[in-house]
Order: sequence, then C-alpha cells, then structure tokens
Amino acid sequence: MNKTKSTTASRETGPKYWRSLDQLEGAPEFSKWVDHEFPSGAEAVTDPVSRRNFVKLMSASFLLAGLGMSGCRRPEEKIIPFAKQPHDYVHGQAKHFASAMPTRTGAIPLLVKQDDGRPTKIEGNSEHPDSNGGTNAAAQASILNLYDPDRATRFAKDRISSTRTLALDEIAAIATAAAKNRGEGLHILSGHADSPTRDRVRANLLRKLPKAKWHEYEPIDHDVHRRAATKAFGLPVKPYYHLDKAERILTLDCDFIGSEEDSHVSVRQFAKGRKIDPQHPEMNRLYAVEALFTLTGAAADHRLRVPASAVHRVAAQIALKVLAGLGIASSKFPGVKDTLIAHGAAGGVDPKWIDVCADDLMSSKGRCVVMAGQGQSEATHLLALLMNVALGNINKTVTLRKVSENKSGSIGDLTKALNAETGKKTLVILGGNPVYDAPANLEFGEAIESEEVTTLRLGYYEDESTPKNGWNIPQAHYLESWGDALTSDGTAVPVQPLMAPLFDGMTEIELLARLAGEAVFSPYEQTRATFFARLGSRSEDAWKKFLHDGYDTAGAAAPMKTVKLISRVVNEVVRVANKEANVGPDLREVIFYADSKIDDGRYNNNGWLQEAPDPITKLTWDNAVLMSPTTANELGLKNMRGFKDGFHDKAFKEAGGTVADFHDGEHNLTEKGEFHQEVVTLKLGSRTISGPAWVVPGMADNVFACALGYGRDGGATVSGGTGRVGDGTGFNAYRLRTEESLKYGLDVKVERTDATIQLASTQEHGTIDGRSLIREANLDKFTDPDTGHGDFAKGMNMPHPEGIEDLPNGGIAYKNPLDELRKNATHSWGMVIDMNSCVGCNACVLACQSENNVPIVGKEQVVKGREMHWIRMDRYFSGDVHNPQMAHQIMVCQHCEAAPCENVCPVNATVHDDEGLNLMIYNRCVGTRYCSNNCPYKVRRFNYFDYNKRPLNDLYNSPLNPLNRKDGEWELKRWAKDRSKGNIAEDQWDLLKLAKNPSVTVRMRGVMEKCTYCIQRIEGAKIAQKVKAGDSADVKVPDGTIKTACQQACPAEAIEFGNIDDPKSKVTVLKAQARDYEVLGYLKTKPRTTYLGRVRNPNKDMPDYSMPETYKEWVGQGNHLQTHGHEGDHDHDHGHEDGHKHSDEGGHKATTGKGDHH
Amino acid sequence: MSEAAPNIKLEAPPIELERDRFVANNLGMGEISDQICDVIERPTPLWWKICMVPALLLLSMLGCMIIYLLTTGVGVWGNQHPVMWGWAIINFVWWIGIGHAGTLISAILFLLRQKWRTSINRAAEAMTIFAVMCAGIYPLIHVGRIWYGWWLFPIPNANGIWPQFRSPLMWDVFAVSTYFTVSVLFWYMGLIPDLAVMRDRCKKFFGKFAYGLFALGWSGSNRHWRNYEKAYLILAGLSTPLVLSVHSIVSLDFAVSNLPGWHTTIFPPYFVAGAVFSGFGMVLTLLIPLRTVCKLEEIITIRHIELCCKVTLTTGSIVGYAYFMEVFIAWYSGSSYESYAFWNRAFGPYWWGYWAMISCNVVIPQLFWFKFFRTNLKWVFVLSILVNVGMWFERFVIVVTTLAREFIPANWGYFKPSPIDILTYLGTFGLFFTMFLLFLRFLPMIAISEVKGVVPQADPHHPLGGAKPGGHH
Repeated sequence: MNKTKSTTASRETGPKYWRSLDQLEGAPEFSKWVDHEFPSGAEAVTDPVSRRNFVKLMSASFLLAGLGMSGCRRPEEKIIPFAKQPHDYVHGQAKHFASAMPTRTGAIPLLVKQDDGRPTKIEGNSEHPDSNGGTNAAAQASILNLYDPDRATRFAKDRISSTRTLALDEIAAIATAAAKNRGEGLHILSGHADSPTRDRVRANLLRKLPKAKWHEYEPIDHDVHRRAATKAFGLPVKPYYHLDKAERILTLDCDFIGSEEDSHVSVRQFAKGRKIDPQHPEMNRLYAVEALFTLTGAAADHRLRVPASAVHRVAAQIALKVLAGLGIASSKFPGVKDTLIAHGAAGGVDPKWIDVCADDLMSSKGRCVVMAGQGQSEATHLLALLMNVALGNINKTVTLRKVSENKSGSIGDLTKALNAETGKKTLVILGGNPVYDAPANLEFGEAIESEEVTTLRLGYYEDESTPKNGWNIPQAHYLESWGDALTSDGTAVPVQPLMAPLFDGMTEIELLARLAGEAVFSPYEQTRATFFARLGSRSEDAWKKFLHDGYDTAGAAAPMKTVKLISRVVNEVVRVANKEANVGPDLREVIFYADSKIDDGRYNNNGWLQEAPDPITKLTWDNAVLMSPTTANELGLKNMRGFKDGFHDKAFKEAGGTVADFHDGEHNLTEKGEFHQEVVTLKLGSRTISGPAWVVPGMADNVFACALGYGRDGGATVSGGTGRVGDGTGFNAYRLRTEESLKYGLDVKVERTDATIQLASTQEHGTIDGRSLIREANLDKFTDPDTGHGDFAKGMNMPHPEGIEDLPNGGIAYKNPLDELRKNATHSWGMVIDMNSCVGCNACVLACQSENNVPIVGKEQVVKGREMHWIRMDRYFSGDVHNPQMAHQIMVCQHCEAAPCENVCPVNATVHDDEGLNLMIYNRCVGTRYCSNNCPYKVRRFNYFDYNKRPLNDLYNSPLNPLNRKDGEWELKRWAKDRSKGNIAEDQWDLLKLAKNPSVTVRMRGVMEKCTYCIQRIEGAKIAQKVKAGDSADVKVPDGTIKTACQQACPAEAIEFGNIDDPKSKVTVLKAQARDYEVLGYLKTKPRTTYLGRVRNPNKDMPDYSMPETYKEWVGQGNHLQTHGHEGDHDHDHGHEDGHKHSDEGGHKATTGKGDHH
Repeated sequence: MSEAAPNIKLEAPPIELERDRFVANNLGMGEISDQICDVIERPTPLWWKICMVPALLLLSMLGCMIIYLLTTGVGVWGNQHPVMWGWAIINFVWWIGIGHAGTLISAILFLLRQKWRTSINRAAEAMTIFAVMCAGIYPLIHVGRIWYGWWLFPIPNANGIWPQFRSPLMWDVFAVSTYFTVSVLFWYMGLIPDLAVMRDRCKKFFGKFAYGLFALGWSGSNRHWRNYEKAYLILAGLSTPLVLSVHSIVSLDFAVSNLPGWHTTIFPPYFVAGAVFSGFGMVLTLLIPLRTVCKLEEIITIRHIELCCKVTLTTGSIVGYAYFMEVFIAWYSGSSYESYAFWNRAFGPYWWGYWAMISCNVVIPQLFWFKFFRTNLKWVFVLSILVNVGMWFERFVIVVTTLAREFIPANWGYFKPSPIDILTYLGTFGLFFTMFLLFLRFLPMIAISEVKGVVPQADPHHPLGGAKPGGHH
C-alpha cells in the first residue's frame, strides 16, 4: 500500500469513491478502529466455526464503516453512519451501477441494481454500443453465486482454516523467492480472460520473472475462434460476426444462441434479422449443421444433423461448392481445392442440401456469414474462415479484431512440467477447477499432490482443486471486484464492485500484482492505471465517465482491414483432420458439451441455474447421456421417457422405419412423469462413465452427448461436498474426456446396465398435437397475398359458431366490469411476445426468478411438477421424430381481461385492477388452488412448502419433529423465537436473504403466485411519473419507461410491454400486426398477453422444404385456415406441394363441426 | 297387547296378493322394541370391540396426518402442477355423495310415503351425518393456509375481507354446512320418541339422565305426537331440496370452470344421481352385515335390501346415461379440446380409472335386473362395495384426468398420490366407523316408533291391528 497515496486520498475533500477493502484496511485508523471495536473480530471472519457470525460482523463493522454499503459512489462515512444520512442516499431507493461480467472471451456489460448496499439484480447495459441491455441466463443467475453460502469463505492452508495475514505472508514469500530466481519453478495456471489490466499485470510479472511459466486452460474451448483466425491470417486476430448484417447464416456446429460466448450479442443481432412486418418482410435465413439439437438448430430454417466429427467434411463440401460456384481460380487458394476434394467425400448427407445451401450463400455474397462452433476443431474453423474470405464477407459481416498475443502453455504442458522436473515447484492456480475438469488422462489431481509442488490457489469454492498441500485463497465475485474487460467488439468495460468482498476475497489482478511484487497491488489502482495508460492522461473525469457509462469505446482496436488468408495453413490443418472416421453403429461418437445451465460446472452450486429447465431436454438438476431415437432403439433401451417425448403413436408410425419397435414394452410409462431412465455405461479408451440415457429427437444417430459440469462429489467445502445445492447432481463426464477427445471422442462403447436413475424434467409431453397454440407460417406464403397466410395467425383461430356476432354483446352473457373501469384508467397494460424473435434462451426465466424472488424447489419437487418459475418455456417438437422441428413459447400469466382465475377464488385473493392487471394478493390467499385449476394456461404456481424458509432436503420434515434441528436448535423453538427465519441454517439464511429483491414480497407456503407483469416496476414508474407531474395531469407513464424483468433481459427483444391504450406505444403497434394472436382465444378470456406468429424462412429449393410442422399437424386435425377476404379460397391456402393430403372431408368437418361450444 | 286376542276372524287375503311385510315373522310391538333396544342394552358384544379397535387406530392416524399436513404444508400430499386438486377433493366429493342416501331415504321417501324407509332411515341418516363430517374435513384442510380458513365465512372483520360469492367454493361452504345442519336436526327430531323409549327402558342413572335430557321430556302424548309429526314433515320438506342442491352445487365446482371435461351442464343432475347411487351402495354395505350381527333380520328384511338394489340400479343407469351423453356432447361440440378430454379419459394414461368407473358404475349394477342378485346377500354386499369403488373412480376421473391434460400440452402432468393422501383417506374411515359404532352402541339404529307404525298391528283395518276397545299400546 502506497502510503503517500492514501494520505493524499484522505486529504481530498468532497465525495470520495470506494476503492477496495485493502485500501481502507491498510489505512492505520481503520485497523485501529477494528482492533478497538472487535478485538477478536478479525479472526472470526476467517474462522469457519463462527462463519455464521460473518454477516453480523459485516453489518456491525464493515457496513457501519461505510464499506460494505458504500457501493461505489457513496461518500465514506467511517464512524457512525446513518444517524446522519449521507448525501444523495435515500433509504429504500435502489441505485444502479455500471459494471460488467467477465466471460472467457470478453464480458457482458451490465447495469447492476443495488439495494441498500447489496446488489440484487443484474441487467444489461443498454448504453453499451454492442448491447441492447439483453443478457443471458448465466449473467442473470450469477448474482446468486455472490450470495452462495458454500463459496470459499476462509483462507485455508492444507484445507485447514488459516488467516488472511498468514496467506499474505505466504504470497509475499513466494514473490520474494520468485524474484530471487527470476521465477524458476513458478507455474501459473489461469483461465481465459480478455482483461487489459490482467494482461498488463501478467506482462509485468512475466517480464520480472521470465522463467515463470504461464499456462491457460478452459474446459470449454472458446479460444478456438482466436486460435483459428490467428493461424489463418498469421496475425493475432479474433473474428467478430455481424449477424445483423447477414442475410444468410451457415453455422457449422456453432450454437451461437446457446453454448457460444456472447450469445446475448449474437441473439440480438440474429433476432434483428428475424423481425418482420408485412411492410418489411425481409428476413435472414439460418442453415445449421449440428450433431446435438441445439437452440440454434431450433431457430434454423434448415437443419442438417451429422455427427460432430463429420461437420468439417460437410464444411469442406460446401466450401468446395462455394469455391467452384464463385469461379475462384485455384491459384488464389493454392492446393485448397484438392484438399477439399480429398476431404469432403462424406456419405449420408444429401448432396442437394449441400448444393442448395452453397448456392444460397453465393447469392448473398458479402451478406452472409459462415460460423464454426467451439465444439469443432481448428480445421472446421479454418474452412469457415475460408468460406467467409471466398464469399467476400470479411470486413462486411465478419470483422477481425486484433487481440494481444497469447503464448501460454496448455494444461498438458503444465502437468508434464510438474511431473517431470525435479526440484521444488510452486503452482499458482487462478480460479477454475482443474483437478475436476482437466483432461482425465493428465491425472492433474495427482500431479499437484506431489510433495515437491506447493500450490497457491485462488478459488471461488473450496472444491476438488483446493490444495491438500498449499493454500486456498477465497476469490472475489466479480460484483466485489475491480477490474476491466473488453467486450467481443473490442469496447473496454469496467468491472466495478457493488459491495465490499463479503469474505475478504481476492481478485486475480491483486494476486498477480502481489506475486509480481508490485508496489501497488490494489486492483482498483491497477485498473485505473490501465485505463489511464490507454487514455494517455490521468483524467479523473474520464475515469468517472468510464465508470458511470460502463464502457469506453476510445482505444478499442479497429478491425483489421487488410488480411490475407494463408492457404498453406488451411491445407495443412484440414489435411490432417480426421477424415476417415465414418460414424455409424460400429463407430460411435461421444460429444462433450457445455451445459446450457451450469456451463463447464462453474455454476454447479447455483440453484437458479440447476433448476432452470434445459431449453431442449427440459431436464433440471441432472445431465444425461443424450441420444437419438434410432440409436436408443439400436441399444434396445426401453421405458425411455425421451423416446416418446410426446410423439403420438401416429407420429411414430408416420415417421416409419424403426419406429414400430418402440411400441413393445411399457412405453406408456414414458408419459407418466416417471422418468426412471436406464443407466448406460460409456467406455472411451480405458475410461468409463455411466449416466442415465435420454432420447432427444433430432439428434444425429450414433452420437452420444454428455453435458459437462455435473457429478461433483469431491468437494472440500465445510459441508463436505461441492456445496449444498450442487452435491449429487448428475454424473461427471470429465472422467471420460482426455486430451485427444476434448470436444468429442470416437469409438465409444456403450453398454446398458440394470440400474435406473430418476430424472426431473419440467415438460412431460413434448408435442403440440395439432393445437393452434403455436402458429407458424413460411415467409414465401406469408408474403404472398394470394395464399391468405398474411394473417395466418388469426386464421388459425377456432371458428365461432355461426350467428354469434349477431347476438348482443357478441354472445357473451355478462358485461365485463373491466370494460367500464378501463374508460377511466390511465393505462391499460399489455404484452406482446414475438415468436419470431424468441429463441428460447432462458434469460427471461432467470431474470424473472431474480427480480421476483422466485424460490427454487429442488429436484424431488420438480419431479412432482412443483417448480415455481413464473415463466414457463414451453418447447414443442413437431414432425418426423428423427428430424423434427422445434418451437419455443414462453408462457406467462396472460392477464386475461375476463380472467377465469378470478371468479373462482372464494376470498377475493386474485382480482383485476382498472389498468387490466390480474392482481395476486398474497396475504389474502388461503390456497384453495382453484384459480390454478381454472387457468387454461396453467401459469399459476403454488407454494406447496415453505420453499424460502426451509432447506430443500428438509421440506417433508414437520417442524414438530424434535429430531429436526438446525444449528442445534429445535425448529419449533426457532420458529417461536424468530418466525421469519424458518429452518435454514443461519449462514445460509444470512446470505440468501441478501439476494432478495426488497420490492417484492417473499411468499410463504400455502400461497399462490404468478407473473405480475413486474408490478413493482409499474408502480415505481407510476410513482416517479406522478412526482414528476406535480400538479399537472401528466401522470401517464411514457412508453418505454417500464421494462418488465423478462423484457429487459431478453437479448432478442422478443417481449414488448406497455400501454395498449396508447396508439403509438410499441406494444400497440406490434399488436396491430396481422401476426398477432391470442392463445386459446376461443375461451374468450381476452388475454392481455398476445403472441406474434412465427414465420420460418425455408429455402424452396431445399430438399427438406415444407410447411412448418406445427401447421401441418394442425391441418392434419381437420382444421382449416380461416382466410379473411378470401372466403372459399381454401383449396390453395396451404398448397398441395406441402406434401400434405388435404381432404375435403377435413375441410367440411372443420366448417360444420368446429363450433365454439361456449 | 297381544294377549288380547281378537275374536273376530277375517279371511286372510290370498298370500300371493300380499307383499312381504316390512317386519318379518309378525313381530309384535314389544318385540320390535326389544329387538332394537337389545343392541344397546346387552353387554358390549365382542364384534363391536373388535371393530372399534381399528376404527380408533385409523381415527388417530387421521389426527396425525392432519397435524403433519398442517405443520408441514400441502406438499406432503401428491398434489402438483397441473393437478392442484388431488385426493382431498376426490374424497370430499365421494364422502358427500355417500352422505346423500340418508336424507334422501328419510326425507324424499317420507314425502313419497314409502313405508319401507322406516327400517333403514335411522342408520342411513347417521351414515349421512358421519359421511358429511368426513367430507367436511377435506375442504378445510386442503387449503394452503388453514389458519385463515375462516375467511371463507362472511364474518365481518377489520381487514375488510369479505368472501367472493361468485366462487363455487363459497356456494360449497353454504351448501354443505346447511345440508349438515338440517340433516342433523332432522335426524335428531326423528330420534326424540326413541330416546324417550331408551330413557324409559334404561336402568342406569347416567344413561337415564342422558337419554332423558335429549328426549326433551317426550311423553308420547297425543299433543307431542301431533307437533312431532308436523315438525317432521316440515323438516322433510326442507331437506328434500337440500338433497338435490348440495351435490348440484358440489358439481358446480367443476361445471363453472372452463376446463374441457369439467365445463358441462349435465353435471348437476348427474352428480345427484351419482350421489344417490353411492349413498345406497354404502347403505347396503353397512346394513347387510349389521342385520346379521345385530340380529335384526326380521326388521331389515330381504325386501328392504331388494328395494335398495332397485334404487341403485336406477341411479346407476342414470349415471351411465350421463357418461354416454358427456362423450356424445364432446364429439358433437366439434371442439378438439373437448373431444380430446374424453378420448384421454378412456384411452389416456388414466384409462384404468375410466374403465374401473364404467364397469363398477354402469355395467356391474345391471346385474340387479336379476332377482337372484338382488336377493343374494353375498352378491349384494360385494356389488354394493363395487358401487362405491366405482364412484370413487368417477371422482378420480373427473378431478385428475381433466386437470392432468387440458389445453396446453406442455403443462400436462401425471398425478400420483402420496402415502399421506392414502393414509388420510383411510383415516377418514376411522372417523366414520368410530362415529358409526358409537351410534350403534348408544342410539337405536332403527326408528322404533316409525317401524311400529308400518307393522300390520298399527293398521286399524288389518286383521292383526287396529284399536281395540279399551285397548292400549
């Protein structure tokens, strides 16, 4: 700590800004004060036994000292604070601070809400040039990690509690020793990051300690984009895709909506190209080549399923066509053609698919993108880059950003070094969990257990990698850290803390600075130094603006304008790629993929993410061995829930082939919420794992896929496992993964076992059965005025009984009292959900959970269907069971004007207000659950237990049970003492309650709850507007002021909310579109939430061109598109070329029998 | 009475013209009293003790289950999303249905002058009251926050909370509580003359005092009888519409909703028919063993059993017709949601429930067309139990299959009861049988005075009866 600096700081007048705990801790007056006030307090912070005292301590000393609560902008009030309220602090009023969540390859710019000194809600920073304020599910849920009671809370030596002072001594000792021998024997292992400050500190360190070795390892290889581009162009560059400018997109196993980094950017850009209205019916077209059925595949207009190992051969074929089609001379890419010919001979893929896809790309030269995914080898990436170069996309839809050169070693090198070298070695692990997730063949855990290795590990958890021989230093959460990062477009963003580190955690930057023996190791100063260096001056104003805005475009690297593809490299890499492997029943493939929820395992102890249903499988709390129906059939698996997954017998029969085989055995069980899945064993080389099988229609055959990050049992937390949430979930797929099979492995042997495991899926029935809940059309039909598909969404309404229009009041017997009230209401709230933009990414589900204090219920309760999510992401498969289409629909409270829930509640607990909100009054609810039964959308959720006040493994334990003790106390006694606390252990309770949104009631057991349109936000905006209006009558909230949590988080901008009585509001304009429809509108519930029908954009020349499968199913039920103004035109309304038999009988039945029976 | 033998000899009517008497073997008035009171007056029989033990055990289990439920949460049941009503509501409707026969027998059959009711009405009414008690527990404990259950009653309070009268659950509250109150009054009213008989026969002080207290000073005077008969008639008149209304209103819990399979206008009459059907089933189940163990074969005769069987056959057929109409209307409506709901009932994952319902409620009662089955006690006993099994499945089918799969396939689910559901249900049998056994032991299970009124001896025009000059009862 630089003393002169701190004294100057304390001499400053005016508001001061919080910097870091160390800065203050270093201040002598602070230490003296702590010692004086809490002589033993300092010790208690790191002592696990009295860990539960921590929050008390925090509130007593840190909070009052103005540290914990100071956030970033509150003036320091060091002694007695709120007797005299600090300037600009209004109790109970939330503040927002710009920050960023660092990711492996960049960052997500954020605006974080802070209530009384604790961050409570993550939102995207919409000011950021490359953001609309959308985020992804992980960012939304990351706030829960901050309050994870199982995170590392102590400085531990050899897994035994120690103190911070001793840890700092140890770091200093390592630094001194390293300085002496110029870093000999010092190894550093870190993850990827794109942080200028970390890069700078690291460069300093390596300059000072040239013999130290830096290694990087990430289980999910997002760095491949950079590596491939760097190889291809011979410069350290990273591609950046402008999907919003692309008319045609080809993804080669690139799940840019799901598992790729920066999905929030890709989704926004992609959705931009899907937003259509009749005046602007242009739309992008997405081709997806993939093995798993991903969200990208679900959004695709054409999807080709091939094993992951065959993707690069498909790429080679398309590239060959593109090169040939464009007439590019062979000399431009010497030798490439031959390589492609030799490489692309892949069987099993319809050549027409390749041809037409290539043609389509060529017709959009310079306006298309080819992307390869992180699950693909460099060869595929090079082919994608080759195509982008050939198609002239570089600097149009693909830009190349210069990045710092990275010459780190791999984890393999590190293990070799640790095992081979003699002499003492010091290993510093910065974050991550390599003992758990390193390639299994390295036996990394054994390598660091060696006597000669001293390990210093900065870890967010005390987990598998907590050294048995060395130190574990608690890592600060990013909401507790100073730092910076570059977003994928190269814009710098600050990582600004929202609170002081809860457990004295340290950041990577600080640890590195200390190791490098720098004079100033405070991450705050380091970050500032980087900023000022980039700026070229020490302008405090610029710094403040940087923090305030949350980004700084100045200094962002401009895209490389002139680059040249090095054909030689492409040739070399592609040639050696495994081209012979033909996946089939004799050569099966296993894919290791990043889980859609817990990523590589980093969110394993995050209950929100564990319980978020996977967008495809709808599984919670577990991973599974995914496989296609055919593959499962070949293995002879029965009683497979995923098999049927709601495909009716008819659909199976129509699909033909092997389907008949599914019918023997107990297939009915698959529909009964049983989900007892057969366990299969996967053997790859000498390693085996086993996990429950789950069938995903539409996956490539002979491919098995295992999500990484589960099966954590070797933790070292105080509770004995990896954490109270993540313990015992799923199986560990890392055990099968070696350096040779980091992304996928070939020749995996699969065997059935007798065992079964019960899984928890939130959706038991996966098909829509021809119901017009989701309405889809094809773009060519949608825009063709003759087909009547322009208003296909309304045309799929159930026909009214004849003559109902002539009846008074439209045949409705009673006047809705809301109609009268509405005349005098200031607003009429409504929502519209654009199914064309929604990609099913789950961000809204998590945002809602965070905003509305939605509890998690645990696997056992999910099995019972009692999950509490206010947003249900419905997923439907339709069409051929082997290669179906997928559609998502978010289902929230529809705020029906004639709400069926309201008239059945005996105690008036759910009523309507004049603005059209269907209100749920928790404290009036007695819990008859009649409202839920009568809700046609089933969007109400019931608190079957005190989910907020009881541990999830304790739900069935009556509080009367005298054996039921927490913290050594009988629950009934606890309850009598403090009725708010329930039976949650005190350390959990103290932390978890900090994560709650204070504006939203935490519901108790026996109470119904549901989406409120974020009423707290509506009321907040209304109050603010009234304050602003003063005496004037201008109390109408301007359009766009209120964003519901789901709307705010949605990167696709698929959700619009506002005043539907305002003719200019966005929501009204959208609702006026012909695509607008009500789900189950025939019930006359008059939902305020409506949907815009989905338009697919398939290519007419493609072999798999057809009408949307859901539409075909609907027609197959004898339904008939009601064309307005085209009466009698039914014959060609959905065209015979659809391949669907449209019988006259069906049409007849539809017009006569389809009465609205109400 | 009987020693004054008649000296006029009339020719007896041909035997084939005379129906079986309601009391067999020409029991005299005193014999009737003796037979019925004997059940109470003799030392506690072994069978009673044997039955009481499991009944009490089940009753205490019910208490434990309710305490566990209330302290822990509704989640201990198998309820789930989307089937938010499970066994609680099934059993509520089932018990309420059983509670129909008693008042029907005592009120409607009384108004219709069906004299055969007298032998069975007392026990049937008791059964009704206890069944309604069992039923009434469920709506109370099934709510999420029972401590606020009083909000369902219109009690003025400072919170300004007032019930919402558009909700069928509110109608339930009033329908069931009114039905229970009137049933208890009616039952008690009928008991008064018999309580006086018990008072007069009782030799122990405490018993005499207790019977006397409840007999309200009944002396059997002409004036008492006149008032009694009027009051009884009025209560019968009051009860009659209640018999029809209570299950109609319970059915509105379903019919008022908008779910396919619930939203049906046929529900009220169909529920009433089903309730009478199940009530008679339960009456038969109880009386067949009772008439043997209590040695009352002469008062509860085969003819009574046969008549009950005929009612069962009739109402069972009405229910069968309703099932058919439901399916027909679902098809005729043309609504795919409606037709799917009924297809799903028959062929969906709960097909077994539907077919159990159809066979027990529609097919099996058709055996009662044959006299053999109506008069063979073993058969009647088995069939009467099947009737109630079938009616339980009817409620299961209505509640569960509808909720499990309605409009949006993504939220379809599969309901399974938890052990607590099952044990609570068994516990209600404990309550029912405990109450019923106590009733058998302490109150005359057959209306003594009414039975006496239908024997030939009470008929002045009958050779065996009539007022004798200077005679006395």
